[in-house]
Amino acid sequence: MPLKIEKTFEVGQPIEKVWAFLSDPRKVATCVPGAQITEQVDEKTYKGAIKVKVGPSVTDYTGEVQIVRLDPQNHEIEILGKGQDVRGRGSASMKMTGKLGALPDSGTEVKSESEINVVGILAQMGSRVIAEVSNIMFGEFTKNLQARLQQPSEVPAGQADSAEVKPIKATSVAWEAAKGVFRKKP
Amino acid sequence: MIHKTSPEMGGMGHSVKRKEDLRFIQGKGNYVDDVRLPGMVYGQMVRSPYAHARLKSVNTEKAKKLSGVLAVITGEDLAKANLAWMPTLSYDKQMVLATGKVLFQSQEVAFVVAEDRYTAADAAELVEVEYEELPVLVDPKKAMDPDAPLLREDREQKDNHIFHWEVGDRQATEQVFQKAAVKASVNAFFPRCHPAPLETCGCVADFNRATGKLTVYMTSQAPHAHRTVFALVGGIPEQNIRVVSPDIGGGFGNKVPVYPGYVCAIVASLTLGVPVKWIETRSENLQSTGFARDYHMTAEIAADREGKMQALRVKTLADHGAFNAAAQPTKFPAGLFSICTGSYEYPTAFCEVDGVYTNKAPGGIAYRCSFRVTEAAYLIERVVDVLALELKMDPAELRRKNFIPESKFPYKSSLGWTYDSGNYEAAMKVALDKIGYAQLRKEQEEKRKKGDLMGIGISSFTEIVGAGPAHTFDILGIKMFDSCEIRIHPTGKAIARMGTKSQGQGHETTYAQIVAQELGIPAADVVIEEGDTDTAPYGLGTYASRSTPTSGAATAVAARKIRDKAKKIAAYLLECSENDLEWEPGKFFVKGAPSKAKTIQEIAFAAYTNIPPGLEAGLEAVDYYDPPNLTFPFGTYVCVVDIDKGTGEVKVRRFVAVDDCGNIINPMIVEGQIHGGLTEGLAIAFMQQIDYDESGNVQGGSFMDYLLPTAVETPHWETDKTCTPSPHHPFGAKGVGESPNVGSPAAFVNAVVDALSHLGVRHIDMPITPWKVWNVLKEKGVTS
Repeated sequence: MPLKIEKTFEVGQPIEKVWAFLSDPRKVATCVPGAQITEQVDEKTYKGAIKVKVGPSVTDYTGEVQIVRLDPQNHEIEILGKGQDVRGRGSASMKMTGKLGALPDSGTEVKSESEINVVGILAQMGSRVIAEVSNIMFGEFTKNLQARLQQPSEVPAGQADSAEVKPIKATSVAWEAAKGVFRKKP
Repeated sequence: MIHKTSPEMGGMGHSVKRKEDLRFIQGKGNYVDDVRLPGMVYGQMVRSPYAHARLKSVNTEKAKKLSGVLAVITGEDLAKANLAWMPTLSYDKQMVLATGKVLFQSQEVAFVVAEDRYTAADAAELVEVEYEELPVLVDPKKAMDPDAPLLREDREQKDNHIFHWEVGDRQATEQVFQKAAVKASVNAFFPRCHPAPLETCGCVADFNRATGKLTVYMTSQAPHAHRTVFALVGGIPEQNIRVVSPDIGGGFGNKVPVYPGYVCAIVASLTLGVPVKWIETRSENLQSTGFARDYHMTAEIAADREGKMQALRVKTLADHGAFNAAAQPTKFPAGLFSICTGSYEYPTAFCEVDGVYTNKAPGGIAYRCSFRVTEAAYLIERVVDVLALELKMDPAELRRKNFIPESKFPYKSSLGWTYDSGNYEAAMKVALDKIGYAQLRKEQEEKRKKGDLMGIGISSFTEIVGAGPAHTFDILGIKMFDSCEIRIHPTGKAIARMGTKSQGQGHETTYAQIVAQELGIPAADVVIEEGDTDTAPYGLGTYASRSTPTSGAATAVAARKIRDKAKKIAAYLLECSENDLEWEPGKFFVKGAPSKAKTIQEIAFAAYTNIPPGLEAGLEAVDYYDPPNLTFPFGTYVCVVDIDKGTGEVKVRRFVAVDDCGNIINPMIVEGQIHGGLTEGLAIAFMQQIDYDESGNVQGGSFMDYLLPTAVETPHWETDKTCTPSPHHPFGAKGVGESPNVGSPAAFVNAVVDALSHLGVRHIDMPITPWKVWNVLKEKGVTS
């Protein structure tokens, strides 16, 4: 079910620093809970994996991340990610466009639009669960991103690759989903 | 007139308490999952996450290595035994386990057998399946587009069209429409819903290698038919197959088809030589077993300015999912949908239905319904209300004006059915009087002035049940008769067996009441047994309100055969001529000398101890009843709703159901049936839908999303009745189980639309959720 998510958040770092980080999928992956870049195929294509745990259901997606468009002048990036669960329980794809804007206080505004499409067991849980999972993942992502950017020096690429993979927590999803029930739309 | 027996006798018309409840309320029922056999192992399905995908590989190695796993069966394994596909009840075929590709989400891909259920479930997770996603077809309206993906590559016909079926006079109908003064039309979608029986489907297959006998305990509404299917498809000699339907926790049509799980459990038991149990989870039941409805319908009425209906035209697109597994009589690809002229006299009518494939679960089962009569009743009752708005005429008045008059029965409809009996106006009068219709209309007028939303919905439905006469009705060639065998024991007690199978309908009580009525043996002394193909006479099972019209009739006829023999014995014992004897329930007596009598118990004893010369011993009979016609129960339901303008919530204030099912066997059971069916109708109208997103993901695959009504949502039901016996049924009964499910959705929807009609609303599709209503209110500027 295609699901559109729009997020805007601010980072207290100058635009070029944020751009350098966000335009490198290897670095971005270190901020995505449960995600890992396993191989660089070419300049714009990477192989990766992401583990998503919702309640008792764990889905291990492996697939590709591709930079479709990179516009350093306008600080715009378009990424396409596609993956299949290793045990054949479904697939997921995400198209994300990100745009950075410099803020007057020398911080940066990050605007992103994502279109997520999940097929399979996870998708049966309904859009409210997928939306909540996405919300949690995005929340953790921005938190991690802020933390990483505030670190005095950037983590070397090699370390990013070996970063520990922790799946996102099921308990928080269950709670978010339970809250979601009361907002249910047909 | 039915002779009223004493309450102790418990013949027809008595609210005898249900015999079966004694064990059910004590938790002593015996359902399939209660069956535990020595050495039994467990099966678990591996299912497809994709709605449409090429199956590239199925790797079972890891699963097989897990300790406790006995076997993993794939589609390729079944293909070797020519069992990868099986026939459906609609002359299509269906994959047992997928080969080549999968066609709906949750489709069966592999079957894991393990020593316990947990290991089986864990092992199913270890089966690695590689898929290549294919374009998905979800919208049936796009099924025939030139660029639609081809779903069924196995068929010779290279498109997604299954059938076109039409009935009536297209041209004559066209002509009436061209000249019609008034026309009304509605596009109504009857959403895909699911019976969701309390007990899911399952079986225990037990193949005994020593005897060569296969016993299958299964959730089957039609055990004999299933035995024959297993014999024909599996090549097992039929005498070596015994199907046992133990207690069944609700069927509603869901347990009519043969599902891949049954076949896999049987194959596994044949292979392993041990009993194999397979029980669905709730989600598996909702996502992969027989759904109901999914009809996209258009109805148009042509009428004159006075509101006299002149013609009906119906066009329908039927979404059958990935395989045409609709459960219906062979000659009727759209079931009995042509009952769509309903309770009204149409000089001419035309109805056409096209069935298509989509990437959804197969089914099209008759959910508490005689094969699409629910869709038909909903459609006609909906469009009649639209016509009433068009004519600015009261919907009750419009109905009265067009009812088939009592004097015209038996009535031949323009679409070919011969209605046995009816008195529609009488039923409607009882309903309208009971609810206080005139007063309610006044109240509505007052409320509208104040801006309050209140609606009254009427549904004057006609049913068509009791399939069916052998000349037109068969399933896979087997004629739709049904049967009863009665044996009277020497002490005058009895056992009776039928080809039907109760799933909660109370057969153990009602059939005994028929025997009591016909033979004068107290209902308490009659044991009813169904569901064991080794003992019960052949029959097509219980669905479509057919038990009373078929096996019920067979019970009466078999009892009368016994009575004929009993008369001979009585004449012998009383030393008189048979012609001198008179019968009253329980005894034969000499005309004019009532003290010279022999009770049925005395006669039964004599049948084994003092047999008249030239007569066979014993007292038993069997009857295979071929009904001369279907029966046509009917009724009027009236619903009153209030709508919350702020939230769009619909509250059912009152609901009056007046049913006419002919002569009643057990009024309490009939009332219970009506309560249950109305509650299901409420859920269909307001809460339930098995929906799919664009990728073919099921959006109603658990009770989180597919809502069941509880006592909280259910209003108080007020029931009443009229009685118009069936002229052709042995005791004038018609069947009632499905009437409330068939008749009520239109009453609910009509009430909601009636509440909003002054705003220009003509139709809202089910399920009518608060969200939908709120959006309408917003659109009409009623709420912000």
